[in-house]
Amino acid sequence: MMPLRRFRIHQPGTIAEAAEMLAHFGESGRLYAGGTELLLAMKHDVLRFEHLVDVKTVPGLAGIEANGGWLRIGGVATHRSIEISPVVRQRLPLFAEMEAKVANGRVRATGTLAGNLCFAEPHSDPATLLLALEARVRVEGRSGPRTLTIQELIPGAYQTSLASDEILTAVEIPLPKNGQRASYLKFQVHERPTLGLALVMETQDRGQAIATARVAVGCVCPFPRRSRQAESLLVGDRPQVERNLSQAAEVLADEADLIDDLEGGADYKRHLISVFLKRAFACAFPGR
Amino acid sequence: MSEKKREFYVVNHSVPRGDGVAKVTGQAKYASDVVLPGMAYAKLLRSPYAHARILSIKVGEAEAQPGVFAVLTGDRLEGLNPYYGHAVKDHPVLAMGKVRYVGEPVVAVVAVDERTAFQALDHITVQYEEMPAVLSVEQALAKGAPILHERTFAAGGFRGFEADVSAGRGTNICQEAHVTWGDADKAFAEAAAVVEGEYYYPMAYAYAMEPYVCVAEVNESGVTCYSSCQHPFIVRHDVAGVFNLPVSKVRLVVPFVGGGYGSKSYTKIEPLTAACAWKARRPVKLQLSVEEAVLTTRSDDALVRERTAVDAQGKLLARQATIYLNTGAYAENSPLVCEKAANRAAGPYRIPNARIDCYGVYTNTAPASSFRGFGSAQVTLAAESQIDEIAEKIGQDPLAFRLANVAERGEVFFPKSRPLDGDLKSDLKKVADLLGWDKPLPKGKGRAVGCTASDAGAYPVTSAAVRVHGDGSVSVLTGSTELGQGSHTIVAQIAAEEIGVPFEKVRVVGSDTAITPFDRSTGASRTTTLMGRAVLEACQDAVSQMRAMAADVLRCPVEEVTLMRGGVQRGADRLDWSQVLARYFGLPDGEVLGRAYLRKAGDLSQLPVFWELGCLGVQVSVDEETGRVHLEKLAVVGDVGLAINPALAEGQDLGAATMGMGIGLYEELIYDGEQLVNNSLLDYRVPRFSDLPEELHLALTENQDGVGPYGAKGGGEGSLNPISSALVNALYRATGVRLRRVPLLPERVWRALRDARHGRESCPAPTKQDAKSRREAG
Repeated sequence: MMPLRRFRIHQPGTIAEAAEMLAHFGESGRLYAGGTELLLAMKHDVLRFEHLVDVKTVPGLAGIEANGGWLRIGGVATHRSIEISPVVRQRLPLFAEMEAKVANGRVRATGTLAGNLCFAEPHSDPATLLLALEARVRVEGRSGPRTLTIQELIPGAYQTSLASDEILTAVEIPLPKNGQRASYLKFQVHERPTLGLALVMETQDRGQAIATARVAVGCVCPFPRRSRQAESLLVGDRPQVERNLSQAAEVLADEADLIDDLEGGADYKRHLISVFLKRAFACAFPGR
Repeated sequence: MSEKKREFYVVNHSVPRGDGVAKVTGQAKYASDVVLPGMAYAKLLRSPYAHARILSIKVGEAEAQPGVFAVLTGDRLEGLNPYYGHAVKDHPVLAMGKVRYVGEPVVAVVAVDERTAFQALDHITVQYEEMPAVLSVEQALAKGAPILHERTFAAGGFRGFEADVSAGRGTNICQEAHVTWGDADKAFAEAAAVVEGEYYYPMAYAYAMEPYVCVAEVNESGVTCYSSCQHPFIVRHDVAGVFNLPVSKVRLVVPFVGGGYGSKSYTKIEPLTAACAWKARRPVKLQLSVEEAVLTTRSDDALVRERTAVDAQGKLLARQATIYLNTGAYAENSPLVCEKAANRAAGPYRIPNARIDCYGVYTNTAPASSFRGFGSAQVTLAAESQIDEIAEKIGQDPLAFRLANVAERGEVFFPKSRPLDGDLKSDLKKVADLLGWDKPLPKGKGRAVGCTASDAGAYPVTSAAVRVHGDGSVSVLTGSTELGQGSHTIVAQIAAEEIGVPFEKVRVVGSDTAITPFDRSTGASRTTTLMGRAVLEACQDAVSQMRAMAADVLRCPVEEVTLMRGGVQRGADRLDWSQVLARYFGLPDGEVLGRAYLRKAGDLSQLPVFWELGCLGVQVSVDEETGRVHLEKLAVVGDVGLAINPALAEGQDLGAATMGMGIGLYEELIYDGEQLVNNSLLDYRVPRFSDLPEELHLALTENQDGVGPYGAKGGGEGSLNPISSALVNALYRATGVRLRRVPLLPERVWRALRDARHGRESCPAPTKQDAKSRREAG
């Protein structure tokens, strides 16, 4: 941790103004919301910016609402505000529970969900769950608004497909229908998780059959990954799916591009995926 | 010195700590709060190479930056003695001619603020010529290995050990220590059973919440440093040496210290900060980040090859150990760690034969030095693991085996040393009771106990002064530093007890070498024992003077004046101390100065000053699917003679056990080649509150068998030492798998369990770092 190098903070009044500023500063500027990742990287001197464009002052970006089958979370909503939001707790409690365990209290109080996604830190909890929930993000730049999926937004570690003038204005998550069973589990030793695993299933017959399944892993790979092939193994009668869990975990691990790092070797992470897929499945069907 | 447990008014009570309110309200002042008029700030450029010659340093552009006052390099120290070191004078103020580890300070920039100094570092160009480096003990001891220190060194005045300095004699051995008694070879040949193994204890960072900080001022009255150091008098000695000054011209002031744990023992950044102030001709503050602090001091990691033998009756017969400590680039206090590791390797048992050889080895890594427990934790992983191993081999319960072999109270179990001044046997029984040793356990859980004895107290030279003021209030002048351990509370309790005043009327004046009398150090768990006793004796000195004054004002022989709490009486006349002083001096104020000097004499002539005992038990659960080991139950017994403040004593025991648990389960500094890769708290995992066991038992043994005040002995390190081995032993009892290396990271445990299932041996202590081998494999 070093002293921050000198930089200037700019506070635009509108999204359009923010986009103009970002375009103007180019490589020397960066969008700044909670700053929990950005300022840390700057204090470690691994990122240097002369201009920070602070979007916290842009009105209307902090809202959280449920509307038309979607939960909409504004671009500067903090983890904490999501964690305690009655709307999120009521309509998508799993997401509130996940948010309650992001990093630590200080990070949650300041850090934003959108900032977490835009930094594309490979150990992000929200990105993994949002991927499995098939969330989308709203983006605005000088050339107008766009909508991206999480896969489209995060193509690599610390990478997004946003243009340098684009701002993530909202995260939109489809609200669960009756019969959705979902869980998010993580395994953590250090400050950041070793594994995050999200499982979202649409069930029928009071949970006896699984109509669709989406499973995503994060932290073990450069960016959160789903596997359609693994998901196809998770569809069908529940006992059959339960028998398929090991195989699904193998497929998921094969497709995830597992990495060796201080959190563990790739073979250990492969093993953890198997353990936690089974635990996530059990978690999604409590009381059995 | 021990006396019958009498009724105590203030000591032996859990008085709330005197600095508690100031600390929780943010009013307590630390060295980083010190701001002097005209003060500038320093930042350091550090070496990117593990071992390289410095060919040139270009600083002109940095000096020309607006706001920069001075740039200091190793060849701009003319007029100073650039090397310091209380044990071995091998440490340059800034790198001289070559660098010896990645992160070694090479250039210091002094500027108007920290940011300006930091940004000016970009304008410095250093040309290096890389040299082959040695990064492990194995490499450092190999034939033809590059040598870190080519010249020989004189022993420093405060080296703390009696042996000759081994450093600089053509090898990378920094210090060696050998302890033998009996005939180990013969004993092993005749043994009924032997266990043998190789163990690795990792390098760790003490993680004091406050990193190193120093504010220095150099002027005609000498050098003044406000520092976060533990041992101001030894730092004063080193700084005086660098500046060629008498010690009276060097002043070390230590405000509150935000944790030490040994990492702030001895001299760190004070000579460099003072040199910056000298060069810049103004006061300078240098405060390090956590990442820089890790590069300043870590603990010695240790490779231990040990074997243990028993006879047919199940009695310990012999122990033999060879210990290699990775000391890093500079000696710091590692020579003493080396000696202490050797002393502590055999354990607190009755063992007729032993041979211990310990080598502290220079490598091109961050310097290692004191760390809570001081070599004991490193060697206890092997020693206490093998107690369980040999007990199992001869079919004995590990607790029963310990009870049958542990040294008795009063027994001389280590040659030429003080007899054991604690009751480990009863402590072990107490721990076993608290733990529920005989209760059945479900599968996947295991229990273990462990014990250690450390030759503690360091060299017993300590002095104190006590001023009893005219209104009966008291000031205690102590050179011991308040590191958070509560020493200021302890000495105030003793003064209140002895002078007979309320605790609230005692003020403790902390370390300032210009004011407070000499104390060798605040470490080795010595403060309660030695400073506590010095304060007690200084109080008795003051009381004795005041009794004579009372006799004078009462116009009677001293013998007719009897002491009562807080004053004297003669017949119906009762005078409290303020009345005595007012009548004696004829003013409503005036004071008596009581003083005491302790030295290695009388009941302090035999070392160690006391045996610091560690005795604890753990119960763990293991998630065999992930490999996660969880400490669910912890029982600690502190054998402290008498707890001056029981709550603080127990807090120290819990703190030490928790710190040791951190290394047992999670903490490990990792080098990947020349680079320390996890010196940030993002990657270096210290314990969290959520890691604390669900069930916790803290107990004290108070037999008043120490040489300290009222029979007290030190605590605060003991319970760190046996916890790693206890966790390892408990894991074994839970799973049947024995690891000979900590931390018990989930991945490491999972691999061991998997290998065991496949019938593979997974026990050896790997000498290469996991991360590196993984990377190579990948």
